[in-house]
Amino acid sequence: MTILQPGTELRAHPRRMTRERMRWYVDLLPTVEADDGRVHQDVPTIHDDDEFARSQGLPGIIADGMLSTNWLLSLLMDAVGEDALAPGSLRTRYIAPVFEDVVITAVARVTAVETDPDGSARYALDLWCEDAEGKKLTVGDASVRVTGSIAERARAPRFLVSA
Amino acid sequence: MATGRYTSDLDTGDVLGPVEFKLSTFVVREYCHGNEMHHPWFQDTDRPMVPPTLVHLQKLRLYTHSCPAGTGPTARVHVEYDATCHEKVFAEQPLRATGRVAQRYEKRGRTYVQIEIDLRAAEDDRPLITYRDTVIISYKPATAEASS
Repeated sequence: MTILQPGTELRAHPRRMTRERMRWYVDLLPTVEADDGRVHQDVPTIHDDDEFARSQGLPGIIADGMLSTNWLLSLLMDAVGEDALAPGSLRTRYIAPVFEDVVITAVARVTAVETDPDGSARYALDLWCEDAEGKKLTVGDASVRVTGSIAERARAPRFLVSA
Repeated sequence: MATGRYTSDLDTGDVLGPVEFKLSTFVVREYCHGNEMHHPWFQDTDRPMVPPTLVHLQKLRLYTHSCPAGTGPTARVHVEYDATCHEKVFAEQPLRATGRVAQRYEKRGRTYVQIEIDLRAAEDDRPLITYRDTVIISYKPATAEASS
């Protein structure tokens, strides 16, 4: 029996969307493009420069939506391991800005489970990121195919204790 | 065709690329670190898997290739990430990305652009990730821009 059933809800630990987390993502854009073994910084963006953000009609910097997407992907990987990467799908829609220091919780809720002829399980999930008041800021859905035992993954210790 | 200048010029039907490249082990680890994805198949192996979300940044590679003048006068705001992943991608794997502007449309005074990115294995053209990216060209509605 699988431990993930329709209605099962997975919640990540809450994370504060700090200025530093926003900047880490901003720095990735030129760093990935240059791909020369060094970290690069780019021109001011709405994610790391308040003055520039205000010039674009925003009250202050906002997080890049991909941070929320990656935190949701990370939650799926915590649950089903690398099977969360492929084959499958992930869709996220950014329905409200994430401002500095808002506390974000990534949540996934199983909506359907099907078993394939090869024994793998195919899960459909609704996803969202919510703030401390439970307001949804990012919404989406995912489909993942899991080949191993989720129960084994869930029971795998995250650390070892020795005397 | 609206390629060749700003990304904000892009119009329905424009094709970006193709571009061929590899994602180094360094950038895969750096990307995962920057997003706090400290999973072993990213950080603790000589051949890391590539998180499918990294396909989003290949849009920038295509922009640089096809729109060398840059973003344009206003900042883009990302609205939707929508990826279908056909198989796992690995660092150092030869890749080919092609972009196509699926739609450019107006909604509540704002201009939206939807780009489809097709990521394939360069060696045999195997589909790896099909990605649809939706952005608002300018956060400010056109009326606000006109008055500022």
